Amino acid sequence: MEPASPTSQSTGPPQQQQAQLPPPSRLTPPSSSMPSNSSSTIPQSPNPNPSQNPNSNPKPPTTVQQHPPPPQSLPQSQSQTRGPLNRPWSQPSHFSHFPSYLQPVPSPSSSSSPVPSSSVPSSVHGPPRGGIAKGFPATSSPAQPTSLPASFSSSLAQQYGGLARSPVGVTEPVSNSSSSPAKPAVLGMQNVGMISSPIRPNSIPAHHQQRPVQSSSRPQLTSNNQPSASQNFQAHGLLKASSVEPTSSSSPSLTQGLQSQNQPWLAPGSHGRPPLPTSSFRAPMNPQSLQQRSHAVQPSLHSLPAASQQQQLSSSHHQQQPFALSNQSQENHGQLLSSSRVPQSLAGQQQSTRVQGLGNQKSPSPVMVQPSNVQANPNDRTAVAEADESGNSILSKRSIQELINQIDPSEKLDPEVQDILVDIAEDFVDSITTYGCLLAKHRKSNTLEAKDILLHLERNWNMTLPGFIGDEIKMYRKPLASDAHRERLAAIRKSIAGAEVVNAKSSAAQSIFVGISARLLTTSSYNLRVKP
Amino acid sequence: MFQKDLQHMMYGYGDDTNPLPETVALVEDIVVEYVTDLVHKAQDVASKRGKLLTEDFLFLIRKDIPKLNRCTELLAMNEELKQARKAFDVDEEKLASAAD
Repeated sequence: MEPASPTSQSTGPPQQQQAQLPPPSRLTPPSSSMPSNSSSTIPQSPNPNPSQNPNSNPKPPTTVQQHPPPPQSLPQSQSQTRGPLNRPWSQPSHFSHFPSYLQPVPSPSSSSSPVPSSSVPSSVHGPPRGGIAKGFPATSSPAQPTSLPASFSSSLAQQYGGLARSPVGVTEPVSNSSSSPAKPAVLGMQNVGMISSPIRPNSIPAHHQQRPVQSSSRPQLTSNNQPSASQNFQAHGLLKASSVEPTSSSSPSLTQGLQSQNQPWLAPGSHGRPPLPTSSFRAPMNPQSLQQRSHAVQPSLHSLPAASQQQQLSSSHHQQQPFALSNQSQENHGQLLSSSRVPQSLAGQQQSTRVQGLGNQKSPSPVMVQPSNVQANPNDRTAVAEADESGNSILSKRSIQELINQIDPSEKLDPEVQDILVDIAEDFVDSITTYGCLLAKHRKSNTLEAKDILLHLERNWNMTLPGFIGDEIKMYRKPLASDAHRERLAAIRKSIAGAEVVNAKSSAAQSIFVGISARLLTTSSYNLRVKP
Repeated sequence: MFQKDLQHMMYGYGDDTNPLPETVALVEDIVVEYVTDLVHKAQDVASKRGKLLTEDFLFLIRKDIPKLNRCTELLAMNEELKQARKAFDVDEEKLASAAD
């Protein structure tokens, strides 16, 4: 099937884009649609992929696929996504959940091919799933992880197939396939974001457009990578799905405009992400990813403006604009939140690019975008180089290296460490944005504002960012002590009280001895508790 | 609150003669936040004693050597000035009493 698909795809990429976009979106509905749609979805997405990656798994290159019943999975996925997303960034160990994902992934991956076709509606859930993926391992029941990996893998497969359009996706998958299997997981994630974005804008239904894009990108990545590596990607993709979203948004815009460039993109197979075609492409991509992510988090919050925007867009190009607008605002918030100047600089650049092309789009975000523009402008000059590269993700490796140079010019980090840092940054931004959206919704507002992010950071991360409307007096909070610390303090106080009681009864020397021994015991118990 | 003074201080540390208002606002935000946080922590430290003393603040910045040295230097200068003023007043009294 694969050989046929490449030929068919190459012939009519523009047509396929429209048709393929829906298929990638189908991949998103992870849990619900997967079992039933698994067989049909995959064939749809692979279409674009075969042209890109002959090695990739085969998602049968059917260009046009029926729309699987996405709406069913949407409500489920949304509810699922909200649960884990609510948790604050207090689980840095979500990476440990990888193994649990990896195991179930192989099994679903086999059935993932059919899923892509049916996952068009599921693809909508894909991005949200991606965001949840991180949270799920910790909180979700054992049954969910298995379903999630399957759905993600299927969605990834679809997206992967539909990647053919996006040049960004193309280059990355190519580079990923060439790189070691270990690397692809990391790179694949980035590609996923890119890939999904290009595919989505074309044919995704109004409300599904955002999600399918991301999900489409994921399957694309998986198809690009070898079957053995694809599973790893899927697992990583699940985890990185949320992080990939920002990048994926950029990819849809890229794919739309760069269909003809797909072949040239494939040829170079340059390492890493090739400089995206233009910053303008990047701008829409990032906003889209943010948009998608926000949709995943709070469909009610941002989907309305996004959906309305999407409906207005008749062509993929127009779609990029609204994505950019909504994503821009979201991304701006995410960038404002991040302490590093790199994301801010990117936002500034992106904002400037987006503003140029998004004059006709109205959304709640523009109000917030402008203040962020003003704030991010000072950082624009530094962001130029980084902005081009960060089109796929929030943070690029070069920005990590620049940050390291600020700390210690002679410091050198391993590439794995840089990848992990990029992942952590993306996860951080994703969780921050999620919680900020929840707070904004709690405020009964459809606009994510800086104060939502500031409140979340101040209360949960103990981070204060001066200069962002921080004039309001903040209630001081004593450093929150953990339960173990309080227990130890109470034990010490008891020992002191015991020493005093003893003192009343016996001589001072004895009481002192008792007090000292009691304190030693408590400190030893403290040490014992700390060691494990 | 500290706009005027901060502008001069920023110029002294290398900024432009007229720094941007946004920059001054940002620096003022940082300063106010730092002072507020320091005072709260000093209150926590001094709560056991019941009184807030200068030593509480010195205890809190004990890890920052330059700040600590600068603080002790300023406190020492303050004491010297007090002594000088006190001596001056005493001299004036002596002159006044001698004149009488």
